[in-house]
Amino acid sequence: MEFILEINTEEMPSAHVKAALEQMKEKLKKELSSQNIDGGQIETYGTCRRLVVVGDFAPSQKDREEEIIGPPKAVAVKKDGSFSPAAKGFAKSQGVRVSELKVIKTAKGEYLGLKKIERGKPTRDILSKILPQIVPSLSFPKMMRWGESSIRFSRPIKNIFCLFGGRTLSFSVGKIRAGNSIVGHKIYFPKKIKVKSFIEYREALRKMRVVIDQGERRKMIFNQIVRKLVSLKATLHPDEDLLERIVYDVEYPHVFMGSFPEEYLNLPLEVLSTAMREGQKLFSIVKEKKQRPFFLGVADAYQDSKSLIRKGNERVLKARLEDAKFFWEQDKKITLKERTKDLNKIVFQEKLGSYEDKTQRLKKIVSYLADKIEAKKEKKQVIQAAELSKADLLTEMVREFPSLQGNVGGLYAREERYPALVWKAVYEHYQPLSLDDESLASLTGAILSIADKLDSIVGVVGTGIKVTGSKDPFGLRRNAQGICKVIIERKLCLSFSRLLDKVIAIYGEKLREPKDKIKSYCLDFFSNRLRYIFERQGYRYDLINASVSVGIDNIYHSYLRLKALDSLKESPNFEPLIIIAKRVNNILKDQPLFRINQALLAEKEERELYTTFSIIKNNVLPLISKGDFPQVQRIIFRIRSSINKFFDNVMVMTDEKRMKRNRLALLQAISKLLILVADYSQIVIEGQEK
Amino acid sequence: MSIQSLIMNLQKFWADRGCYLAQSYDLEVGAGTMTPDTFFRVLDKRPWKVAYVQPSRRPADGRFGENPHRVQKHFQYQVIMKPSPSDIQQIYIKSLGALGINLQDHDIRFDEDDWEAPSIGAWGVGWQVLLDGLEITQFTYFQQAGGIELFSVPVEITYGLERLEMFLEGKDNIYDLNWSEDVSYQDLRFIEEREFSEYNFNLANVRRLKDSFLLNEKEARQLIDKDLLLPAYDMCLKCSHFFNLLDSRGAVSVTERVKMIAQIRGLVSQIAEKYIARESSP
Repeated sequence: MEFILEINTEEMPSAHVKAALEQMKEKLKKELSSQNIDGGQIETYGTCRRLVVVGDFAPSQKDREEEIIGPPKAVAVKKDGSFSPAAKGFAKSQGVRVSELKVIKTAKGEYLGLKKIERGKPTRDILSKILPQIVPSLSFPKMMRWGESSIRFSRPIKNIFCLFGGRTLSFSVGKIRAGNSIVGHKIYFPKKIKVKSFIEYREALRKMRVVIDQGERRKMIFNQIVRKLVSLKATLHPDEDLLERIVYDVEYPHVFMGSFPEEYLNLPLEVLSTAMREGQKLFSIVKEKKQRPFFLGVADAYQDSKSLIRKGNERVLKARLEDAKFFWEQDKKITLKERTKDLNKIVFQEKLGSYEDKTQRLKKIVSYLADKIEAKKEKKQVIQAAELSKADLLTEMVREFPSLQGNVGGLYAREERYPALVWKAVYEHYQPLSLDDESLASLTGAILSIADKLDSIVGVVGTGIKVTGSKDPFGLRRNAQGICKVIIERKLCLSFSRLLDKVIAIYGEKLREPKDKIKSYCLDFFSNRLRYIFERQGYRYDLINASVSVGIDNIYHSYLRLKALDSLKESPNFEPLIIIAKRVNNILKDQPLFRINQALLAEKEERELYTTFSIIKNNVLPLISKGDFPQVQRIIFRIRSSINKFFDNVMVMTDEKRMKRNRLALLQAISKLLILVADYSQIVIEGQEK
Repeated sequence: MSIQSLIMNLQKFWADRGCYLAQSYDLEVGAGTMTPDTFFRVLDKRPWKVAYVQPSRRPADGRFGENPHRVQKHFQYQVIMKPSPSDIQQIYIKSLGALGINLQDHDIRFDEDDWEAPSIGAWGVGWQVLLDGLEITQFTYFQQAGGIELFSVPVEITYGLERLEMFLEGKDNIYDLNWSEDVSYQDLRFIEEREFSEYNFNLANVRRLKDSFLLNEKEARQLIDKDLLLPAYDMCLKCSHFFNLLDSRGAVSVTERVKMIAQIRGLVSQIAEKYIARESSP
């Protein structure tokens, strides 16, 4: 039977809509299955004003057959075949005649009992019980109350429409009673009308200027955009995030094209497109990466027959561009260098001082980084970039468009004719903002980006703030992921733990937490972010563990370890190597550390193993520091036959204490070498428990 | 078409919806939200409906009369309804209709824009209302004030009168607006903007402002001790204005800023707490 639920609200943020639809679907599915109701596909639709769930559910719960076991047959049935008082008592307790009892065979023997069929309750009754619980249980990033309603939701609920099998399914959420009527577009059709099925619902809404299917709205927007762009032979300045938001922001999309005076084309594309996106949510139009004097907007409207929407937006945009142009000209009157003098007037973080302090730290960190990664040529430039990096926070442009921080500084630095390595570093040092962002274009940008982010992480952690599941007020996760991404993409080799020491030392007395606590928290935090990045890239969980759990002192190497393991998993060497590692590990469990004494190597096999191991170790160590893990693994594998012979012929746990210790010492040495590559014992191989 | 007819329309519209028409508060405030008719009245549990024009000062927004949109003093039309009516959004939309805007021809959007004033432990959920891309109203359901969960929930609607009038008159420059049939915004406001910008940015005496801040802060503390909450709150408003002036003079260092904001926040929170305690005691 057809089920439709629509929760009609005031405008919700698009992220809330998506989160709620997902939850409604999951919760409903879970409830149905726990209630034994067959439900096929559940579809969800939504706009900023509606959350819609549609499904096809069985009219009632499945009947349930239940066996009720009574007394053992031996007790219940007398020798003459008549029923004992035990049997009669059981029958009475179940409300049946004793003759209705049947013999039930169980593993423990034969019993007397009965089979009861419990008829399923109508789905309608179940739904009217669970929906009043599901709706208020939806959770949103931020919840609110309104009027005198006790429930919390994303935004005030105006109306609930719910049908099952074409009839109203009535229930209440707070003061709102679900019914069989809906409203259309808030301007064109705010009056309630009644509908009886999903098809009717969908079509009635369409007539009332609401397209319920987000996919269809996206298509409508896309098609209209394409049509507008054809004549210009231009393209949209791509902005997938903006499009995604708009798809939910409008119930009926109407795309309009507007223009602005060409005098504003002198502004950089970054400034123009931001001025368009922020506030009015307009798309900028480009041709060969150059802004054209046009924009596209998406109205929540059926048409713009009098062009009032277009003209209104043009007027607002012109004012914004006029401001931007003014800022661009004004800002350039003061050089970035001069501005840095005022950095002491803006707070970086209450307990961590001003941006002047931060700038001084950044200069030291980038200088350290440049030395460590041997970026000799870039060192001077990246220090200069660090010095200028925060100056744009004092510009009018960034005050107006905070999302352009960094970019604006970079653009002004370019105007001031700083070398490319300087202005590009300033330009991109806040990036990457997400793991899907493009790689940074300059090495200087990469260095400054790492320094800036790590300075924030260490500072915030050092004031005692911890990131928890739901709380990450300073975006530390994003920053840590950004650092890992940059290090991996740029193949930067440096000791992360020493870098942390350095940053902590540069902060000095400002950090309240003990230094070792900050460091261990950061290392832990970064391993978790690294695991997250690798999982997201689709690597196997156990391989990630094996490569990350040996330490992340060299983040790029962690990645190389993982890649080596990942390609090894297809090779015939994979299983044997892991079995060897596990075997060594098992024997060494709970043993204290011993030292090898060559003189005590008695058996041929242990001497052979020692020799092979020594050769392998000598060959492998330089390769490990280079990060050539595939080759390392190939060489290590050569230990296989010696070690197998050793295990086959040599008794490790011998009664002779000194021999036993010496053999354990040999295995410990091998294990120590393996751990330099990966913790193979964490890897799960088929048919074996971890 | 003029600002005063816009105000009269709004007055009529909201009076018809049961609002008491307050007069503008007689101290410098940054927004209508800060006046006692909003600040105190949203804290308690009693129903409250009020509407009023509130001149709002933001010294750092001054542009010497040279910017067509930015001014150091503008006019807000403030509406508070508690509890928020269930059809408040439709009522608001009707109010735009009452101003002569045919909404069928326009794009009206409620764009997520939550409000937060950590200094007084207050936050709310809501939107900026965009009319063909122009921000004309802030629409907020208050959730907390003075660190206390508000129930019943008040809704605040704040129209930007100049913005709205620029839309209605189709003008790009604030000074071209008509205040009445024959008095323009330019006539009334231009010299004021120029002179105050000069004062706010260049001439306000930093030492005397700092002294005034301290004096009023002291006064507020004393008044709080005596449970004279309304006068104490006035002192806080004055502190807040002195702080804004010092800020536009660029005379507040990082540490001072943190300290001064914390001072005002401390006072206002105490006032809110005492007020709620007083209102909820029988």
